[in-house]
Amino acid sequence: MKVKGNHVVLALVFLVLGYMIAFSYHITERVNERAPKTNKQWERNLSLRNQIINEQERNRDLQNELNEKQDKVLQIEKELSKEAQVFFNLAEDAEKYRMFLGKVKVKGKGVEVTLADGDYNPIEENANNYIVHEYHVFKVITELYISGATGIAINGQRLSHNSYINCNGPVITIDGFQHPAPFVVTAIGDPEVLSSALNLSGGVTDQLVNDNIVVSLATKDEIILDPILGN
Amino acid sequence: MWLPFMGLVIGIFLGLLTEIRIPEEYSNYLSIAVLAALDTLFGGIRAQLQNIYDEKVFVSGFFFNIILAASLAFLGVHLGVDLYLAAVFAFGVRLFQNIAVIRRLLLTKWSNKQEKIEKN
Repeated sequence: MKVKGNHVVLALVFLVLGYMIAFSYHITERVNERAPKTNKQWERNLSLRNQIINEQERNRDLQNELNEKQDKVLQIEKELSKEAQVFFNLAEDAEKYRMFLGKVKVKGKGVEVTLADGDYNPIEENANNYIVHEYHVFKVITELYISGATGIAINGQRLSHNSYINCNGPVITIDGFQHPAPFVVTAIGDPEVLSSALNLSGGVTDQLVNDNIVVSLATKDEIILDPILGN
Repeated sequence: MWLPFMGLVIGIFLGLLTEIRIPEEYSNYLSIAVLAALDTLFGGIRAQLQNIYDEKVFVSGFFFNIILAASLAFLGVHLGVDLYLAAVFAFGVRLFQNIAVIRRLLLTKWSNKQEKIEKN
């Protein structure tokens, strides 16, 4: 037993000794690992540092460039917003022009003028003297346009800027479609202006009446004009 | 006989496995402590050979010397005096002396044996 106890104490001593020696060796090794930098390492450090500096400079340049680009983008965006406004206006204009051109259905206040042939009059030997001719329709249309009508249709057919009206015997041809009397001219515009323009003394209505045409004028609160077909 | 040896092996093993990072200036203390431990160890061997070995003296000397050497070095660092040199010197000299004594004792033993063999 005594010998064994002795051995235990010795084992403890050796344990501490071995631990210390090994630990010391370990540390020394680690310190050696961190040995002073060799020339090569130093050069490598230097080159890496230079690389970093270069990268940083490049980063700065790129940052500046980015800022410039952002300014440009900002300006472009401002311009775009202006352009959007312009486009909006253009779209509105286009819509308006489409209405004028008869591409779309339009609705509004206006007047309705009906031109009907005069009654058969045995005194007149020429029937042409009391039927509606295309120039009567022209007169009415021209008067309406002059007094501010924005859309005109004859017997429901829209007129556009290049419509033509032909006299074709008892009927008139508008853009290839034939219409018999009576002719109903509907016009969108200020009804009061239009009606008073037509009713000027010595004006269109009087002239038409002189030509033995039955003219009736009605103001309407709502007139709907269909778009021109096949266009 | 194998128990101390086992202790040594386990100690070395633990020391190699330990991953504690201590500052570089403290590694001085450790080397001094190692030196003190070695010195005490050889002192013990010498005492054994001279038949004046006392376990209490050996064990207490072992640990006390380690602590003393380390604290001396610590004090030296903090005072700005390289006191650990003193410890290195003292322990180094004693280490060499002890080893020399051990060598002589072993030689004497060996020659005694030879003489005995010749006498027989």
